[in-house]
Amino acid sequence: MKNGKIGSALAAATYSLLGTLPAPPAVAEESGRWDLDTALMYYSEGDDRVQDVSLGILAKRSFDDDRVLNLDLTVDTLTGASPSGATALGAAQTFTRPSGKGTYTTPAGAIPLDDSFLDTRVALGVGWTQPLARLYTLSAGLGFSTEYDYTHLGANLSLARDFNQRNTTVSAGLAYSMDDIDPVGGAPLPLSAMADVGDLSNRRGTDSKDVLDLLLGVTQVINRTTIVRLNYSYSDASGYLTDPYKILSLVDPLTGDTLGRSPAPGTEGPSGVYLFESRPDTRAKHALFGEVKKFLGGKVLDVSYRFMTDDWGIDSHTVEGKLRWPIGDSMFIEPQLRYYTQTAADFYQVSLLSGEPLPLYASADSRLSDMDAITVGVKFGWTTPSSNEWSARLAYYSQTGNVDGSQLIGSQNDFKQYPDMDAVIVQFGYRFRL
Amino acid sequence: MRMIHARLLALLLMLGGVTSTSLALEPSLDLEQWRGRVVVVDFWASWCEPCRRSFPWLNEMQAKYRDQGLVVIGVNVDAERSEADRFLAAVPAAFKVVYDPTGTLPARYGVSAMPSSFVFDRSGELSARHLGFQARRRGEYEAVIKQLLKSAAPGPGPGSTPASSINASGTTP
Amino acid sequence: MKRPALIALLLSITMSPGCASLGVSPWERDVLAKSEMLLDGSPQEAALDDHIYFSKEASSGGRSFGGGGCGCN
Repeated sequence: MKNGKIGSALAAATYSLLGTLPAPPAVAEESGRWDLDTALMYYSEGDDRVQDVSLGILAKRSFDDDRVLNLDLTVDTLTGASPSGATALGAAQTFTRPSGKGTYTTPAGAIPLDDSFLDTRVALGVGWTQPLARLYTLSAGLGFSTEYDYTHLGANLSLARDFNQRNTTVSAGLAYSMDDIDPVGGAPLPLSAMADVGDLSNRRGTDSKDVLDLLLGVTQVINRTTIVRLNYSYSDASGYLTDPYKILSLVDPLTGDTLGRSPAPGTEGPSGVYLFESRPDTRAKHALFGEVKKFLGGKVLDVSYRFMTDDWGIDSHTVEGKLRWPIGDSMFIEPQLRYYTQTAADFYQVSLLSGEPLPLYASADSRLSDMDAITVGVKFGWTTPSSNEWSARLAYYSQTGNVDGSQLIGSQNDFKQYPDMDAVIVQFGYRFRL
Repeated sequence: MRMIHARLLALLLMLGGVTSTSLALEPSLDLEQWRGRVVVVDFWASWCEPCRRSFPWLNEMQAKYRDQGLVVIGVNVDAERSEADRFLAAVPAAFKVVYDPTGTLPARYGVSAMPSSFVFDRSGELSARHLGFQARRRGEYEAVIKQLLKSAAPGPGPGSTPASSINASGTTP
Repeated sequence: MKRPALIALLLSITMSPGCASLGVSPWERDVLAKSEMLLDGSPQEAALDDHIYFSKEASSGGRSFGGGGCGCN
């Protein structure tokens, strides 16, 4: 207030009387309404690799005075093959399935893929948000998910405080999760050799992992058309962090060929020496995330960047951009672009060398290697007269490894060793009110 | 008679204010004409969800206490008049509506939250300021109005005290 | 002489109408209130994407949280 008084200059007011004042409308029931955000997604990698169909339902109900209930359900079914971590060879290779009940074979020259994956996952979440005082908002939530070999239970809590007439919001949040892993056939002892069919002597039973996440964020309104946010997050995981299904080929240090073996008489088993991977039992990650959202006369531009670094030696950069372009009054088109790059974990290696002492940790999982990925997509949306929104999205996701020649030995150079991946994503969405 | 008088004054003041503002009609709220009544000035916008929730209650208050001398004035701050009209078609206002797309009135009143309502007593003094609209506080909001309506109207003779001066019973957050 | 001037300067900045440094007045949030300007405006899409990237890459998360929008109440 520039001075202490509300001036009441005697200029004519521009008010309009609404005709003859009607009887007051019936007091509107302050009943909450359900806002639903549903989506069906189909994800498919090339070369008979992973295919996933997901159905997601997010339900939000507002109550009086800025209190909100969130419920979410996701169901997805995963099928298809994934690279096991073994190297490609000039000869066909046979592997024992994770269950220990059978084998699968990879043709000569091909990157070994384990096609034992058929899994259905169900995830449920519930969250509650409410103001604690006028400028303070509290959120709490629980999450649960289950699949054939994995169960997750988590809780989260966060507090936000507004400043500067709600132009600035500072938030802090904590999440804790307890996961149980029950691998098919039992968790293998790290760096033990893949055994013949029926031999589960190197397998333990179940294991677990705990994760603590901390998130600190600031959101700032820059001007009428621009908003930015900056988040710092810290994640601390401990327990069983190894992938129980991934292996490394034990190879001759000169030729690069996998050491051969024969199964015991009367049984089937691996044709080579493959060792189960081993990862540390703790992982600490730090990430910094920044996002800008700008309104450009009808169009909306959203650009974000995330930097992540962890104590496994992995650094990553993610840049994402979306531009929402309205078409007429009720439709829009939104091109989307994402670029991702990461460096390899310290213990990532293409294969293990025989004759050398085994390292403490080793993994040939391409998801821990030096790689780049790009996603290019476009989304269409249209709003119905009753303010519901349909959307359709098509995206192409491509991963390329940066495994250089120095990491390959001998005959390994003759074959493509990194499982580059291409996937198509098709997604349909419907947002409506009940 | 009084209306013509007020309009002439308005014209003179407008012309006088040309040096500091543009020639466009500067929106203002003439609360002088409601002296003797209890006035609720509520700032709202079409994009404000709590405003949507406050309208049925404001309508109820206006109807219930009109005869006792309550005047509810809604000041719309939408930049686009069409947005305000669309809102009113869905959520009707049974009280007076003033349009201020320039944002002059909220700035002058020191609006620090949306919605905001300013409650003036019968002598034109600011008695209460409510930031936001909370359904659970409706009883409290209504009690303020009832209390102010109880006090008698001041004697005739405008100009003895400046109309609508702030006596800070509302605090700035 | 310096001290009172500094205090006056600080007071004038902190007590000036509107916000301390950046931002808009509460009645100017029409654009920010639009659903397409919300920071987490497509939660379902974001969740499905996160699940893909979490499964295929070594990084995850980073987003979440509130702020922005109409700034009401």
